[in-house]
Amino acid sequence: MMSEHHGHHVASAKQLWGIGIALLILTVLTVTVAGLGLPSPFDILMAMTIALTKAFLVAAFFMGLYWDTKFNSMLLIGALAFFILMVSITLLDTLYRDDVVPSF
Amino acid sequence: MANHSATHPKHVHHHFVDSNQQFESAKLGMWVFLVNEILFFGGLFCAYIVFRAWYPELFTQAALELNTFWGAVNTVVLIGSSLTVAMAIRSAQNNQKRGLEINLLITILLACVFLVIKYFEYEHKLHLGIAPGSFWNPTPEIAAVLDHPKANIFFGIYYMMTAVHGLHVIIGIVLMVWLYLRARKGHFNSEYYTPVEITGLYWHLVDLIWIFLFPLLYLIE
Amino acid sequence: MASLSKTENTAQITPKKLKVKRFVPLENPINTYLTDEKGIWAWLTTVDHKKIGLMYLGAVAFFFALAGFLAIALRTELWTPAKTFIEADTYNQLFTLHGAMMVFFVLVPSIPAALGNFILPMQLGAKDVAFPRLNLASFYIYAFGAIFTFLSLANNGFDTGWTFYTPYSSDTNSAGIIWVTLGVFILGFSSILTGTNFITTIHKLRAPGISWDRLPLNVWALYATSIIQVLATPVLAITILLLAMENILDIGIFDPALGGDPVLYQHFFWFYSHPAVYIMIVPGFGIISEVITTFSKKTIFGYWAIALSSLAIAFIGFLVWGHHMFTSGQSAVATTIFSFLTFLVGIPTGIKIFNWVATLYRGSISMKTPMLYVFIFIFLFSIGGFTGIMLGALSVDIHLHDTYYVVAHFHYVMMGGTLIALLAGLHYWWPKMTGKMYNEPLAKTAAIFIFIGFNVTFLPQFIMGAQGMPRRYYNYIDQFTPFHQTSTIGSYILAVGFLVILFYLVHSLIKGQKAGPNPWNSRGLEWQSNSPPDFHNFSHTPVVIHGPYDYHQPMEEFQLGLAVDHEYGDEQDKVAAEAHASSATETTEA
Repeated sequence: MMSEHHGHHVASAKQLWGIGIALLILTVLTVTVAGLGLPSPFDILMAMTIALTKAFLVAAFFMGLYWDTKFNSMLLIGALAFFILMVSITLLDTLYRDDVVPSF
Repeated sequence: MANHSATHPKHVHHHFVDSNQQFESAKLGMWVFLVNEILFFGGLFCAYIVFRAWYPELFTQAALELNTFWGAVNTVVLIGSSLTVAMAIRSAQNNQKRGLEINLLITILLACVFLVIKYFEYEHKLHLGIAPGSFWNPTPEIAAVLDHPKANIFFGIYYMMTAVHGLHVIIGIVLMVWLYLRARKGHFNSEYYTPVEITGLYWHLVDLIWIFLFPLLYLIE
Repeated sequence: MASLSKTENTAQITPKKLKVKRFVPLENPINTYLTDEKGIWAWLTTVDHKKIGLMYLGAVAFFFALAGFLAIALRTELWTPAKTFIEADTYNQLFTLHGAMMVFFVLVPSIPAALGNFILPMQLGAKDVAFPRLNLASFYIYAFGAIFTFLSLANNGFDTGWTFYTPYSSDTNSAGIIWVTLGVFILGFSSILTGTNFITTIHKLRAPGISWDRLPLNVWALYATSIIQVLATPVLAITILLLAMENILDIGIFDPALGGDPVLYQHFFWFYSHPAVYIMIVPGFGIISEVITTFSKKTIFGYWAIALSSLAIAFIGFLVWGHHMFTSGQSAVATTIFSFLTFLVGIPTGIKIFNWVATLYRGSISMKTPMLYVFIFIFLFSIGGFTGIMLGALSVDIHLHDTYYVVAHFHYVMMGGTLIALLAGLHYWWPKMTGKMYNEPLAKTAAIFIFIGFNVTFLPQFIMGAQGMPRRYYNYIDQFTPFHQTSTIGSYILAVGFLVILFYLVHSLIKGQKAGPNPWNSRGLEWQSNSPPDFHNFSHTPVVIHGPYDYHQPMEEFQLGLAVDHEYGDEQDKVAAEAHASSATETTEA
């Protein structure tokens, strides 16, 4: 009687396994890259790039944002934006202090 | 008030017009809740970033005390559980009761494996006196390698991040067990699998958080 | 359940798809949400948003009375420069408790969780909020958090000020601080659940015809509030959790004795607590917009400006938290940027004030009690806002920081703003909630008492603050005696005003006159139902073909509903689904 689920996307098993394997490969990759010992800013940049890629795969396909309404994606992006806001404004203080931790 | 009309499907609450509205509302509600979760963990990540920016050398030193191998194993375990949750939702969508049950069981199992590994990691560290804050009392060998006045703070952050994440894993296990019991009773089918879907979203977020925790804590060379 | 509304005017509006009947709300409803299920157990386990709203209202009133009583005690203690009647340590605990209770138990849940819970689904034409059981859970979580705070009092209490700054809060060897921080942590969840619920409700449960440009401004305000709740409250939760761990496990992130950074705590705390100021005030803006149109009988001026300025305030509110920390030792770079950004908040707030005043222009104003509170609001809140801009100016703040000037400023905003708006809303929706009228002359008298008492209490505090009287001090030098005594007298006048309100509201419950469905002749959707409404708010699914402030349209245009009752579920589902699908303009073509 309630058969019209237009919005519900059913992912194929192949797709899901593909994403799972991609995530595995990226995990191996990030461990390997960390082992190389890249110079300072590049190691963290590389690690974060891989982590973000993995996060994108999980959010888009496992969590189904790719097929979902745009608003749910907006929520996720919004949350990240506010997190970045919090960090960057806090860093405006902590990076520019005369005295790192005020002494008591 | 039992104001259900005969044709309102049983799972649809009285204040929704139809099943689809209820499903979409539940999913939106869960996403809004996930925004909460991200900001909740965001506070911890913020503390991490602030202290790492102040004492980069501390983080390089301290990360050596964390076992990359087991961290990586746990990453794989959580990714596997994310996959099985996604498969569980797929099973529910296709009316595969058996598949749903099996996938939920594997997820629960993997989540338990994650916690067991985490437990041994904690135990090993506490054994070496690597504890947060004023309990910081490392063995001489550790103290020789990790000679930094703020070392306790790194582990304060480490323990908070992993413990709060571990708490989420435990909550996830409880939810999965609940789902499994309901699945066995045949509560879910292609018409109604909302709890599976939104618990799945929650579980993927737990996975997402770990995807960032792993390189930030374990992979600093 | 039989149809509760008589159907009049069966000449139907027949748009392309649906047949719509007019429904006129009943003068004397027999079944209401109050009579629907009876007994204390039915109340405690109800998932009805209206009852939950009332329970919140009761709880908020209780905590307001308690914290207000503490305020009177504090003001009485300050009658003389030295000890008047309480010890210094007790004084510290009392002002901390007053602040913590007013902020976390009264101001944050007051408008959204109490009035908002009741009104929001009705303004959307929904039967309930999206997650009714979660709604009930949030009330119990709130109660649970309150219990923890009282447990704290039984364990030596806490005297850190409501902000729980480290190292005060980490060095105090008091079990009380652990209990109260856990209490606030739990309260945060209550707030988060309400916010999540409201966002989902506004997105998914709007009645047919309520497009985004027909949302009442109260809904827009609650929407902005919920966004802040969802984004900011989790940060409070983690902060408070870290603080509790600081006390229990000495994790050392914030405690300077262990190498941590106390200023980082302040960043975390104000990342929540500054936006929290807007959690408290923005829903007040929503009420003002509703009341001002109803009693001016005029379309709101600048609908989109008011709606979007709420969202703008919500956003800018996240950028300015550092102005609480100008003297904390944060970097000069951050201080300067925060000072600059703080001025920006004045813009959307100013937009709102101007639009309200413009709405009044050439309106047909009736000076009922809610409207009286609106004028009080505009007066007091403007003072609060302007002094806030002064405090946001870096150089001025260095002088005024932590003085009574700040105390007066945030009381003008929080009490002169939020609480006055709450009173406006309470008087405005009281007939809808209870079906009874209150004594209008007494209500006006009380409002005047409150207005006078408030100014007598807090105006002197601006002056003595500017002269250097620090806040939170138990003793003071003799030259401040006249200011303190005036302030104390003012607080008594204020208390009398609130007692009068308590008296006539109780009286109204027992002996009040029947209000009828729409005593103010408002165009708002919530007024097109019975008073008190029935369990499902409307006995029909309302169809909306006009905006909520279209006072140039005849009243009948607002009394629409689906032709089919709840009784015939499947029919109704079909029609309602179609109505969802069909756009609002289709309906108007009739």
